[in-house]
Amino acid sequence: MKESFSLQKLLLYAVLLIAALTFIYPFIWMIGASLAPESEIGKMNLWPSQPGLGNFRSMIEKIPIGHSLINSLIVATLITALVMLTGSMVGYALAKMRFRGRQIIFYIIVFTMSLPFQITLIPNYITMVNLHLVDTFLALILPFAVSAFAILMFRQAFQGLPQALIDAARLDGCNELQIIFRILWPNIKPTLVTVAILTFIGSWNEVLWPLIVIRDEQLMTMPQLVTLFAVGGRADAQLGVKIAAAVLLALPVMIAFLFFQRHFIQSMASTGLKD
Amino acid sequence: MAEVSLEHISKIYPGNKKEDRTSKAIDDISFTVHDKEFMVIVGPSGCGKSTLLRMIAGLEEISEGTLAIDGKKINDLAPSNRDIAMVFQNYALYPHMTVYDNMAFGLRLKHFSKSQIKESVMQTAQLLEMEEVLDRKPKTLSGGQRQRVAIGRAIIRRPKVFLFDEPLSNLDAKLRSQMRIELQKLHRGINATMIYVTHDQTEAMTLGNRIAVLNKGKLMQLDTPLNLYNKPSNRFVAGFIGSPTMNFLKGHIKNHDGYYFVHESEQCKISLGPTVPPALKNYTGELLQIGIRPEHIILCEDESNDTIADCTLQVTAYENMGNEQLVYFSLANNTLIIRRRPRDSVDVGTEKEIRFVRDKIIYIDEKSGEVINNDL
Repeated sequence: MKESFSLQKLLLYAVLLIAALTFIYPFIWMIGASLAPESEIGKMNLWPSQPGLGNFRSMIEKIPIGHSLINSLIVATLITALVMLTGSMVGYALAKMRFRGRQIIFYIIVFTMSLPFQITLIPNYITMVNLHLVDTFLALILPFAVSAFAILMFRQAFQGLPQALIDAARLDGCNELQIIFRILWPNIKPTLVTVAILTFIGSWNEVLWPLIVIRDEQLMTMPQLVTLFAVGGRADAQLGVKIAAAVLLALPVMIAFLFFQRHFIQSMASTGLKD
Repeated sequence: MAEVSLEHISKIYPGNKKEDRTSKAIDDISFTVHDKEFMVIVGPSGCGKSTLLRMIAGLEEISEGTLAIDGKKINDLAPSNRDIAMVFQNYALYPHMTVYDNMAFGLRLKHFSKSQIKESVMQTAQLLEMEEVLDRKPKTLSGGQRQRVAIGRAIIRRPKVFLFDEPLSNLDAKLRSQMRIELQKLHRGINATMIYVTHDQTEAMTLGNRIAVLNKGKLMQLDTPLNLYNKPSNRFVAGFIGSPTMNFLKGHIKNHDGYYFVHESEQCKISLGPTVPPALKNYTGELLQIGIRPEHIILCEDESNDTIADCTLQVTAYENMGNEQLVYFSLANNTLIIRRRPRDSVDVGTEKEIRFVRDKIIYIDEKSGEVINNDL
């Protein structure tokens, strides 16, 4: 009995290992290729014989990648902060306040989640044009400042907290904002982390929208710049430089993953969503 | 300190028609809680007692009526400006704060200085004997300790009025009786006006200076614990207060050579004695109910002198509690409970003669449910 159990375990590990390798192989290859001279890339070696930073150097010369990194960080951070603020405020109202139309508003918000972003792309673009926001950071931030997903997450989290906690805070003299941020927030940390991580990654990876509203290279986010670089012909058909740009693009998310690994897995598991 | 007065207070939930009286969670309640009084609001679950308390706290809007503290109307005042503190059933401590911070939080919001806060917290901690747990988070505390912190958080602000919403119902029986004593001590110690909501009549009877009994959003009676027990003003209060509950029998008053109460089954005939009040005489021939407490029905064999039995009934069950015994009889479809002092055991199935203590019987109008002989 014991033997069959360990055999089972062995088999399980083998399958998992193969699966893990399938995922990790292209990734390692990408890092290897980014360090390889152009001539070696086609050979599919996992690691180059003479690794060097040549690809990165020529990429930095060709495009303002450092600047776009900062742009991306600014945009993703601001979007995340705004989504946390608006999401928790709306979520709180929907979860804990009684007002006419509360359910309908909630259903409408949930409904908007089923609309793909592409559908609202054109109306959003026209709005940005009319507000004279094209080619500004606001154009990148505003359309993402409120997220139905975040509202839903916060509403669920707040609903799970006892009403008495809010009553006690009210008697202690808290106003509604203090209730949300001083009393409720510290008690829904997993939700905060989930929403923050998923929002940050989502806005970090956004390419389509920046391509539409930003033309000024100085304002471009990193994915936008890298995409333009890779498909726009400026890489002079050099695969190594494109790959180096891709590595740089993935780097912040990877670093974030290393730090918040536990929370990442929790977030994915708790939402059942994959972004 | 403070006097809390409620005048014609009602709570109508939105969506309910105003005219429909049954949809009122609180229906036209008026009473005054005197300065330094310990007032208990008691009633079955869903009677609106917690809603009433939350209205006093300002957590629930008052649909109709006037709420005043010391004569000043506070209907529209925010909860934090009413100078009221509340202790909740599930304690409602802030889980992310230490005991110290839980108590200090309200003072911080009111911009007390650090030294003032520290002094107040230490004083309160000393009063409630919890100096050792100040650095701990609520989840590491026992139920009793958490309750103490919740009380500490309330008294640290020295409010005019304390509200308690079933604060002991999450504790086990032993801790509950211990906390009851401590609450009494606390009330004497800080001499504040306290309003205490509970469904537990033992808590109500032992804690309250006066008790307000609520049912279906209406005030049934407001009186001292003893008066509620001895002189209930209606069928509901008579049945709600006391354990085991009062015995109720339906029957008629008949006049054949003196006045008698005759049970519907005619198995029981109780003489009303030589002087029958006119109010009762008026009910002759009409259906009414009588109520009598278990200790006011006596087994004739327990009395030394010969007494006249009111009826002879069969014992259906018998419980010996040690300090008292409960004997159950069946009378038609009713169960009659008798409480007697510890004596020899009673055999189930035997027939016993019983007698009702005449002047302890209450008479209840069958239609209105009001007690007829309350002021007789």
